[in-house]
Amino acid sequence: MYHLLYSFCQWLENTQWALNISGSTWAYPYVQMIHFAGLSLWVGTNLALDLSLLGLGRRRQTPAELSSSLFVWNWIGLAIAVTGGFMLFATAATSFVINPAFRLKLGLLIPLGLILHIIIQWKARNWGQTMDTPLIAKFAGLMEVLVWLSVATAAVSIPFYEHI
Amino acid sequence: MRFCNWLEHTPFIVWVSNSVIASTIVELTHYFSLFLLVGSIVVVDLRIMGLAARKRSATQLADELFPWMWTGLALNFLSGFLLFAGDAKTFYVNWVFHIKLTVILIAVVFGIFVQWGVRRWDRPPASMPIGAKLLAFVSLALWIGSILAAVEVPALTSVG
Repeated sequence: MYHLLYSFCQWLENTQWALNISGSTWAYPYVQMIHFAGLSLWVGTNLALDLSLLGLGRRRQTPAELSSSLFVWNWIGLAIAVTGGFMLFATAATSFVINPAFRLKLGLLIPLGLILHIIIQWKARNWGQTMDTPLIAKFAGLMEVLVWLSVATAAVSIPFYEHI
Repeated sequence: MRFCNWLEHTPFIVWVSNSVIASTIVELTHYFSLFLLVGSIVVVDLRIMGLAARKRSATQLADELFPWMWTGLALNFLSGFLLFAGDAKTFYVNWVFHIKLTVILIAVVFGIFVQWGVRRWDRPPASMPIGAKLLAFVSLALWIGSILAAVEVPALTSVG
């Protein structure tokens, strides 16, 4: 299984478009921009909903209303972030796939964050009917903030493990 | 330049720069506050352009998200200053960093215009005036531009 994954990474890294991105001084920052712009939409809207569930901020809509207001662009943000992230991954796939911080980020923390986020969006309709959210909603909101913070911690730790 | 030299060598900045935990916390704060800042303003801009949350009023959405935009900006500025201070002399003379700060400053000014204008422009059932949509589009483009300028600092000058 691992050999298959590694062969895929080798192939990916040597595709013409991946070589074009990694070999160009201007293309790479544009791909980073796509990743960060998508993350801003995804994490920014996640945080807005989580903070609303926690009862923080100036609340003009119930968490259920806010969740439905942000729903479409929240997932568009994830799609943009994944597109940019995949392109960044492709430029050095064989290095990323053996990096412990990257493996923790992609193999554990992101799936955990996604599952938690889907549960929160599904439950927000009930939890967020009124401004006063139940304790479980506050706990879920706090957990989601912590999980995405862990994802970001793993992401910024990737360079520390590059030469291991 | 003398101020940058002094700043770089203050005990607190030296401690932040040399501590893995402190510098990681500063970096995480910088990223998360950026997400909060850009995520909030972009959703409001998209709402004004008629592309998001059309069932809710733009004023209501802006009232809810703008405090997070300003919180994000304050935390981003504070963490950004700490990152700058660790290598102040290098950043001070870096031309791409100057462009980044300029684009951010213009984006913040447009963010203030949007915040001031949204209540006036929001007159349902009439749609937003074309000038408001244009202003929101420029605001959105400036925030995307500020992200691009930020990633260009290490890409073009190997700094940061």
